[in-house]
Parts: sequence; structure tokens; C-alpha cells
Amino acid sequence: MKRLIVLRRISQGAFLFLFIYILWSTTYPLRGALPPKVIFQADPLIMIFTSISERVILPGLIFILPFLLLTLIVGRFFCGWVCPLGTIIDGVGALSKVRKRHALLGDRANAKVRKFKYLVILVIATGSLLGVQLAWIFDPLVIAARFVSLNLIPAVTLAINRLFVFAIKNFDLYGGFYDFYRNLKGSLLGVKIYYFSNAALILLFFICIILSAVFVSRAWCRVACPLGAIYAFLSRFSLLSRVVYTCVRCRKCKSDCRMGAMNDDTDYVKSECILCMDCIYDCPQHTSRFVISPVSKKAIAQREEVPGSGITRREFLLLSASAFFLSFFKLERNLEYDASKGLLKSLLIRPPGAQDEARLMDRCIRCGNCMKVCPTNVLQPSAFGQGLEGLWTPHLSFEIGYCEYNCTLCTQVCPTGAISGLPVSVKQNTKLGVAEVDRKKCIAWADDKECIVCQEHCPVPEKAIKLIEDVVGDKRVYRPVVDKYLCIGCGICQNKCPVRPERAIQVLPLAALPDSR
Amino acid sequence: MFKYLMTNRKITRRQFLKSLGGALLFLTSARFLEGLSLAKAEGFNGRQKSDIKGLHDLVVSEGENSYLNVVEAVKAMGGMERFVKKGDVVVVKPNMAWDRTPEQAANTDPDVVASVVEMCYKAGAKRVNVFDNPCNDEKRVYESSGISKAAKAKGAYVYFTDSWNVVEAHFPYKSKIENWPVFRDALTCDKFINVPVLKDHGLTRLTLSMKNLMGVCSGNRGNIHVDIGEKLVDLTDFIKPDLTIIDATRVLIKHGPVGGNLADVKQMNKVIVATDPTLADTYASTLVGIEPSSVPYIKEAIARGFGNSDLSKASIKHIKA
Repeated sequence: MKRLIVLRRISQGAFLFLFIYILWSTTYPLRGALPPKVIFQADPLIMIFTSISERVILPGLIFILPFLLLTLIVGRFFCGWVCPLGTIIDGVGALSKVRKRHALLGDRANAKVRKFKYLVILVIATGSLLGVQLAWIFDPLVIAARFVSLNLIPAVTLAINRLFVFAIKNFDLYGGFYDFYRNLKGSLLGVKIYYFSNAALILLFFICIILSAVFVSRAWCRVACPLGAIYAFLSRFSLLSRVVYTCVRCRKCKSDCRMGAMNDDTDYVKSECILCMDCIYDCPQHTSRFVISPVSKKAIAQREEVPGSGITRREFLLLSASAFFLSFFKLERNLEYDASKGLLKSLLIRPPGAQDEARLMDRCIRCGNCMKVCPTNVLQPSAFGQGLEGLWTPHLSFEIGYCEYNCTLCTQVCPTGAISGLPVSVKQNTKLGVAEVDRKKCIAWADDKECIVCQEHCPVPEKAIKLIEDVVGDKRVYRPVVDKYLCIGCGICQNKCPVRPERAIQVLPLAALPDSR
Repeated sequence: MFKYLMTNRKITRRQFLKSLGGALLFLTSARFLEGLSLAKAEGFNGRQKSDIKGLHDLVVSEGENSYLNVVEAVKAMGGMERFVKKGDVVVVKPNMAWDRTPEQAANTDPDVVASVVEMCYKAGAKRVNVFDNPCNDEKRVYESSGISKAAKAKGAYVYFTDSWNVVEAHFPYKSKIENWPVFRDALTCDKFINVPVLKDHGLTRLTLSMKNLMGVCSGNRGNIHVDIGEKLVDLTDFIKPDLTIIDATRVLIKHGPVGGNLADVKQMNKVIVATDPTLADTYASTLVGIEPSSVPYIKEAIARGFGNSDLSKASIKHIKA
């Protein structure tokens, strides 16, 4: 009975379930047991480096403490027992037929590649000191959450919906089964099937990361994960260590270790150990144990002294310098911003309460919470429309949805305050853009027909779309015009406009307006 | 196969063809299943109206309590038992289109809907369905309008519409909404009770019972606005509501149909009950002082002789609840 391994698997499964549950319930009316922010508030990488780069103390920073403290006691438990991406990677690794799972990496190569993650975190740290937040790119929780919210959940709900529809239509199950489906739709499944543009890019990024485990087990965690690097660094000083009492040099533990953490049979790289507990049961002598033993500084130093591991002074300096230079493009932009040459404005329409463009790109960790929670699916991940820096930041696409007048959900779920919380009354007066009628396309202007669907839907109590009455022949025609002061740019007019393929009324970003400069 | 590809570096011609065939089969079957699940909607030639007349052509009830208003008005009409028979499946179609509270008067008063639902069940209805195809987010609308909660408390089935569960409307005459997708549930029911709210509307001047029927339509509904008069009369003829109960408890007199300003809401405390939708709409428009013929669909109904639009020829009963 491999009790500890069973325990670990239960823990992994439970945390993966919790992770998906939290994201699944990130939807109107937001009554999940845990707020979706909490995932990232327990993530030291995001919390610490976003706080530094943005020069703020993010609310919820305190939640990282239990994780850091527990790591100081037992070691890198997060990677092996909690991390949802780690769990998925373990799952993919189990599919692999390569039995000796670090066969592709020799000892020396293995020791070399695993220090790469420290370089990653060094770049992130240098960036954050200079005011650039790069933590989001490689953060495992962000990568997993974005995949779950924008790929997995839409795909699963689509599949379930289609199955039900197929069954109901083809087997004529319009009775109780249909009622069951309707109840499911109103509660668990969600009324809408979400669509996210460029979601394939997100999927591709995710697949590249998890597929690395097919070739080398836990390759991502060993080599690149910056959150893993934080925990790895802390776990050097942890109290729990592995001890082998009588070793017969069979090397079974070494060849089976998923992290490639074994130096030889009795010694291991403590910072690489994720406490998966495999080696305890692999040992034919049954003498491999984890025990609490305070170790001296000397022992720590000895243990980490493997040729090729650790960062040399030269590497450190070289890297700091390059990270420093890398940040110059950003600095330049900030200077332009500070010198009040005018705010850098976005040509994309950003959600209500979003920071101004330059700050949004730094604050946003691309976790996808805002897009997942949006009831109308209007929030979409940007591709490269705003340059590489703008990748996967949220923007509004009114062809798909519109900003619901009384809704402030996206402002409630942002873990870093890239979209700051707004009360409903403030949000209702937040201008996202301004609508403009294209009189060549509008059927009321161009064809003198009845329509004004835009005016009908306008949620502003005084109506930001006014009607001009005109008589053509014997018919009275109403034509829409936009009151630019009242219009809040919610985009429901564009979304509901019946004209195809391009809508006759479109919301333009504020930056595109001539008088806003 | 995956494991094989991962461990062996070579691939034979047979394996190549097999995996190619497998992939093609998978992709085409996905298309095939997609087609099955979204099969074309069947045609439908319109509901049969039960043609039960009330004791009067139209009853107007006035009183503080909208719930009692409906009860008294329907009682004066001859009671719900007259319209709903034992074992009937009834659709109660409120105006539940906007993310607004009952006080803002953009949706039907929840008490009015609850009262209708309760009376249907008392009359022996097997099942009462309540739904709408809202303009705002469905979940928000159902909750903030208060209708979902009120109707569910009386035992109604309140659910969201499915855009795949539709039939195509066919007309015996040439119609501009031929083949329009209409929700099947609105047509397969035994009785259809239309429960609109009286309010201002930009294009049609007033939202009334015929305009409320747009809520049983799917598709790109904005297009119904072109020649709205003809299309709504056709639609009313297609649905043939058995009973029309217009809620004029709180009336949005400006900035409709969404509103939002409480200053635009006028407390009228009235409920109108009629079997003829044209008559109900005509009477309701006079309540707020709007010439019936200036409402496009009433104008069209008059021109076509659809229903009775002459108030002087109708027996109208006023009661106080």
C-alpha cells in the first residue's frame, strides 16, 4: 500500500478539482464558495513581482504567507501536491511510454537546464524593479487558469450542450429529459456557450508546455517554472529531508525520479525535490525516508554543490545587464507618459475600470478571469492588435457581445487591480467609447425604413441615441443620431444592429475621436 | 498509436494511410454529428385559437393591488376556468426583456404574472410555462425583473429559451415573416396567455400585446422592425393568443422601452383583460392618450380588419378591485 503516494494523488486531484470549480463558478451571479481572485492571491510570483513592478501593495498579498512558511518547513510541496499545472503535467507524463523518464537528459545536462528557471526569475525580478511586470508569461497558475477558463470550459459546455440537443432532437425527448437539460442550463452548465477569439493560440501555448512532459518528465517544472524557482530556493532551507539508511546502490530511485533530483543513491538536490514520495516505495531495501532534521548551513552548501548547477557570478551579471537593456523600450514609453505628451491611448476598447493603457499592460496577468465572468462574452483576449505586449489582454468585441449596463463583474474578479473595482453607479457613467452611425449603411438613413433597434436597446435612461423625425412621401421615418455626451460606449447598439455583415452603428474607442486629443 | 509514434521513429505506408483515414473519419463524423444536432427546423402553420369568448369583450380593473386587479378582472371575464381547461399546458408570456427592477416598469409586474399563473393552476392546468427571449443577459433579466421568482413560487416552469428549439412559421397568405423561427413551446401549448406591460416605445410609440409577441421569436429580431406593423399583425395571427392581459400598473411613459428613470414611471394601477389582442391594444393606447392609429401595428390591424379596433362597438366593463 503506497499510502503516501495515494495521499499525494488525492491532494493533487482535490486541488485540481477546486481550481476548476473556482473558475467554473466564475460567472454571474458570482456565488461560488471562493472568489476567483484567491487563486492568484495565493501565488507568490504574481503577488510579489506585480507589487514591486507596480509599486503597490496588492490586496490579498498576505495569502502567500502560508505557502511560503509551509515550504520553509517541508519543502517544495506546492509543485508536487497542489499546482494544477503540475498535476496535468504528471497526467501527461503518465501517458508517455518512455520508461526511464529522464533518459533524454544526462546528469550534467540535467544539472545545467534546471538552473534556467532561476534565470527566468532573475529576468522577472529585474523587470519588476524597473516597472515591467513579466511574471505572467511563465506563471503556472496563470497558464492553467487561462486554459481552463478560455479553452476547457467553453469546449466542455459546448460538447455537453450538443449532446443534449442531439439526444432531445433525435429521440424526441421533449418531456422530463428536456426539463432536466433546462435546469442544468440555468444552473451548472450556463446559458451561454462561450466563444473566445484566438483561443487556439492559448491552447497551443498550453499544449507546448504540457507536451514537454512526454519527452522529459516534469520538464516544465524542472527547467522553466519561475514559481517553482521561488519554492525551490526556499526549500533549500526546509526542515524535512530525505534520508537513506542502507543503500545497495541499485539506482532505482535515481532512474525513476520525475524531477531528476537524485545525485546518487543516498544524496539528492533538495531544491529539486517536489516530495512526490516515489523514491520511498521504489527503494527495494525500504530504507528511504523523509525526516525532519534541521540541517547546518554547511550541509546545505554541500548538497547544492553539483558541478554545473547554481548560477555563476558571470552569468548573474550578464543576465542582469541584458534584462536591464530589455526594459528600455518600456522605460522610454513610461517617460513619454510622464512628460505629459498625452496619455498613450488604446485603439482597443478596454473594460470599464481598466487602468490606462500603459498601466493596464503591466498590471494585467492575462489570467482570463474577466473574460470568463463576463455575462455577454464581450470581453475577448486580444491577439497582437496592441503589439506583443498587449497579448491576451481583455478588450471588448461588440460583434460578439456588449457591456451589460448594470453589471460590474469583471471589475470584481481582477486579482491585480488591472481592472479596478467599480460601484454600479460609477460603472454606468464610465465611458468606454462613443457610438457612431454610418449613414450609408443604416437602413433608417440609407433606405428610409423603420428600424431604430439601436435606440430601443440604449440603456442610458435619457437615451444616448436620439431620433430625428422625417417625412418621406407619406411615411414618417425615425432616424438615429448619437448624443456623444450621453453615450457610454456600452456597444449594445452595435451588437443588436440588424445590418450585416458590418453593423451600421459602431462604437469607436475614445482615442479614435478627433476631439479627445 | 500515439505511444507507437513516440517510441518508434519509423512509420510504414500502411500506418500512414491508417492514421490519415482515421483523422478524416473523425473530422467528417464531427461535421455529421454537428448537422444532426442542429437539424433544420420543421415548418408550422400557426396555432389553433380556442375561440372562447369572455362575458365581456374587455374588462378594465383598477386598484392598488395589482395581484387582486388581475384576479377581479379575470373573474369579471368569466373566470379562468372559462379559458383554461383541466390538463391544459399553458404558456404565460410576460414582457421580461430588460435588466430592470419592477419599479422601473420596463417588464411586466411580477405580481401580475404570479396571479395569472396561480389562476391557471387553480383552473386545472397541467403545466404553466413562463419564458421570454430577453434583450439583455437572460440570467440578469430573469432575476432582476422579479418574474422568475414570483412565477416559480406559484409553481410555474420558468426557463431560458433555446435557439435550436424552433419551428419555421408558415402562413396561408404572403407574409414578410414567412419562415421566421418561432419557439416551439409557444405553439405546442394548449392555451397561450399574453401578459405584456404597457410602456413607451421609440419606433412603435407603445409596446403592447402584439409587440410583446416578438419575445417568442428567435433569429436576428432587429429585422422585424422593418415594416413592423405588418409583421406583428402576421405574428399575432400566427400565435393567436387566447387571452391578453395588459399590465398597466406602472407605466413607463418616456424613454421606453428600457427606461431606468423612476421619474418616467407613472402609477396607473390598471389591468386590462381581453380575448381580442387588437381590442386590448386599442384600449390600452387610449389610456395613455395616444391615438391608436398612430401605433403601426394597430393601424395595420385596422386596415386589414384584423380583430375589433372600434371601442364603441365593444362591451367594456370597468371594475374596482
